[in-house]
Formats: sequence, C-alpha cells, structure tokens
Amino acid sequence: MEQSAGKMTSGITDPAPESPAKLELCNISKWFGPEGEGVHAVDDCSIEVKKGEFIVVVGPSGCGKSTLMTVGAGLEEPTHGEVLVDGKPAGPPGPTRSVVFQKFALFPSETVEQNIKFGLQMTGVSATEQETRLAEQLKIMGLEQFRRSYPSELSGGMQQRVAIARALVMQPEILLMDEPFGALDAQTRTILQEEVQRLHREMHYTVLFITHSVEEAVYLGDRVVVMTRRPGRIKRVIDLPRDVAWKTGDIELAAEHPEFIEFRREIWGLVREEIVSI
Amino acid sequence: MGQSRTLQVAASLGAILAWIVIWAWLTRPGGPVPTLYFPAPDDVWAKFVRMWQRPYIGSTLPNHILASLYIVLTGWGLAALVGIPLGIAMAWWKRLKWIVFPTFQLIRPVPPLAWIPLTILWLGIGDSARISVVFIAALVPWLMNSMLAVYSIDRLLLDAAKTLGANDHQILTRVVCRTALPTLVAAARMALGSAWSTLVAAEILAATAGLGYVAVNASQLLDTDVLLVAMFMIGILGIGMTGLIGLTQNWLAPWSVLGARRD
Repeated sequence: MEQSAGKMTSGITDPAPESPAKLELCNISKWFGPEGEGVHAVDDCSIEVKKGEFIVVVGPSGCGKSTLMTVGAGLEEPTHGEVLVDGKPAGPPGPTRSVVFQKFALFPSETVEQNIKFGLQMTGVSATEQETRLAEQLKIMGLEQFRRSYPSELSGGMQQRVAIARALVMQPEILLMDEPFGALDAQTRTILQEEVQRLHREMHYTVLFITHSVEEAVYLGDRVVVMTRRPGRIKRVIDLPRDVAWKTGDIELAAEHPEFIEFRREIWGLVREEIVSI
Repeated sequence: MGQSRTLQVAASLGAILAWIVIWAWLTRPGGPVPTLYFPAPDDVWAKFVRMWQRPYIGSTLPNHILASLYIVLTGWGLAALVGIPLGIAMAWWKRLKWIVFPTFQLIRPVPPLAWIPLTILWLGIGDSARISVVFIAALVPWLMNSMLAVYSIDRLLLDAAKTLGANDHQILTRVVCRTALPTLVAAARMALGSAWSTLVAAEILAATAGLGYVAVNASQLLDTDVLLVAMFMIGILGIGMTGLIGLTQNWLAPWSVLGARRD
C-alpha cells in the first residue's frame, strides 16, 4: 500500500531492465490521406514492449489507438517512424504478431476448428502438429463442444474465444489485442479479462492491448500508456505493480483493492482531461 | 413456427385453387369467356396429357422441355464459367477491371434480345445462336454479382488472414472465394432467371423445338390450349430450377443458412 504512490511515475521508465525490447513502435506518425491535409491519427508515438510484458494503451474514442495497433501489426504503413521486432524492421504482417480484433474477424465459412487451424495450414505446419495444437487450444479456451460449429452459431463471447485461440495457436512472439472485449456484454467481458490475465501469467505472452476501459487497463497491464485525443500522442506512461495478489484474483475483488482504486483514479483523471478539454 | 408454416402453405394452395375455380367458372359452357380465347382447365389438362404422349409440331412435350433446358443450362453454365472467374478477378485486381469493365459497361445496356438478329446472321437459327443469346443474358448477372460478392467481403477478414500468415494467393482461394459463395448462389439464381426469360423469347424468333417455339406456333394456329400448356410449363420449370439452386446453398454454403446466433 505505501508503495503505491512511489510506483506511480510519469514518463517512460524501465521496470524490467533485464528483458530486451520485443516490439518497438518508434516515433510513429500516421496520416490518412495526404500529409498535412488528411486526418492526422497518430503523432510521434513511441512504445516499447519488453519480452513477456503486458502493455495497455488507453485513450478517448477516436484517439488513434487502434491505428497504433494496425501499424504495429504491419497492416498499415506508418507515415513516419518504424516498427521493430527484436530490434529489426518488422516487415509485413505475419504470425509472429498475432492479432485479436474487436469484431472477432472469424471466417464465416469455416467451422471453429477450421478457423483455429487456418494459420497453421497457411504456414505449412504438419497435419499431426495441427491436430495437437488445435486440441490444446480447444481445451484451454473451453471450445471442445463447439469445434464443429460455425461462428454464426456462437455467442459473441464464444466467438472471441475462438479468435483468441486462433491467435494463440500460432505460438506468436507478440500478441496484439485491439479492444478485444469492447463488443461483449459485461459478464462475458469479466470472464475473458480474467482468462487473459491467467494466460499472461502462465504463458508470459508479450502483449500490446488496446482498450478504452480504465478498469481493464489497471487489472491487466504491467504498464499503461495514456494517449491524448487526436492526433494521438503519448500523454503519460504509468507503471503498475506486478505480481501482487489483487492482480491474480477475480477482477471484482481487485476493483475493491485500495491500490487498484488509486491507479484507476489517476488514469481516469488523465483520460478525462482529454475528453472534457475538447 | 410450425403452425404458421402450415397456415402459409394452406393459404398459398387455397389461392391457387381459387384461381382455378374462377377460371373454370368463367370458361364454363355458355360462360362469359369463349374457349377459343381461353379454354377451360380440364381441356388444358387433357391437352397436356396428350402432348406428353404425342408429338406437337415435331416433338413430344418432354422433348420440347429438354430442348429448352438444354439451351438454357448450356448458356447459363458457359456464362458461369466466364462470369464467375472474370468477376472475381476484376474485383481482386483493379487493373484488370480498368481494362475490361468499360467494354462490359458498353455492352451491358444492350438488351440480350437485341443480340438475336446478329446471332441469327452469324449462326443461323440453330442451337448455337440461342445458346449465344442465353449466354449473353446470363453473363451480365453472373459477372456483376461475382464482383459484388468480392466487394461485400469484410476487409477485416483479409487483415485477419494476413496476420495469420496467408499470402495473397491463399487469401483469394481460401478466404475470398469461400466467403463469396452465398452471394454466388444468389448470382446463380438471378443469372438463371435472366437466361430463362431470354430463351423463351429467343425461341419465339428462331427455333425448331422448345417451349417458346411451341407457344408461338400455338398462337398462330389458334391452339390456345397448347399455348396455355406451354406457358404453364415455362412457369413451373422456372420455379423448379430456382428451387434447386436454393437447395444447393444448403450444401455449398451451409453456414449461410443457419438460424440466428444463440446467446
């Protein structure tokens, strides 16, 4: 408790100097349309995600945080700046950087198991290895009984589980999640937040997670990056305590912890400044 | 749900039955409509049975039907072989669209029937002339809807496929073509409707067999009962073919005919 104030720091700090940077967004600017005339979505954003770290980006709607994600995934070229993976230019999108989209983006013509195996088939993983990894993901995400269903037969929460399984089955070095729970009802969201927290703790994924929910950011993140309104710049980077009891339990218990409340208050204050100052 | 379905079928059958009763009443002996212009239902039925067994202007009814089906299915099928790949390719490769689409736009407003004089000039009044006209009639809906099928695919799916390691060729064959299937079934239906209506008209102008040919001859010979048989067959076969296409959707694209998602 007495540590919490000390851990709330401004600016970019280095909480785990022993881990090398896995994903770096270096001075990213993005214009849609001609520079100077079109929409200036992101301005000079730099984010470093260390190996095994969970970084959450929060900001008001339309601040360019999703643009940051598509640039990070290689789906959009930045107007300025570059994306590095292990210190080298990241290049085109691919399975080292798996993406979970807000709108699931499941292939409607494929069953659950075909969706999960899609990336494995595209990259030439052997048939036996495909089955092993599929079975593992079906079990982890609790999808075994739905393996032959089509996405249109599933609820939103189940669809997002399939999308997460489809990303994790690639054994990605980096997991990019773009408001993955934004389209889900509150109960489903809570369950999936806890599952993602558990997955990160057990498997040590490197995650860049976009959300507009401050609670989600405080519960899941090792560090939280707060963005300004458009054009999105980095307003503040806040280190959160890791390996504390409240982060490993249920989110509603965590939300009652004084430390959680303090961080939520601080981060919400920063986000609110951006919303009300328009 | 089951109850309203039964009600719907009963209402539809009842309506058809009502029309036949009105028809029989109007064309009864001494009724207001002379049977030369509109024969009674039992006469039309008798003519149907007779035409099924004995030739009318050269062929029995089943052979006229087969002649029409042969032309329409060949023209429609050939148009599919050209229209689907070309439509998908034009939607996928912008440059191809820039080259092909202007020509296509120029041809599109010409009604398929306006091609008949030219095809007769080139190909005579044989099967190939009618197949060509049907081909043109079916090509437009095949091609336009195949393009639309690709355009209507959510771009997010293409992004998702890229992040899963798919290359452009894999995205086209595995994601685009499969996701487009339900729209292609709709395209098949529209192309067949267009082909069928054009065929009957083409047979009126240039044919030696077929339902349109039967209809125009019957009209000239004042065989009004034969004319009605031909018209009924044109309608019933149209319904039947559309129904068959609807069934193919169930096995080509089963995901697209599932009920609403359960939550």
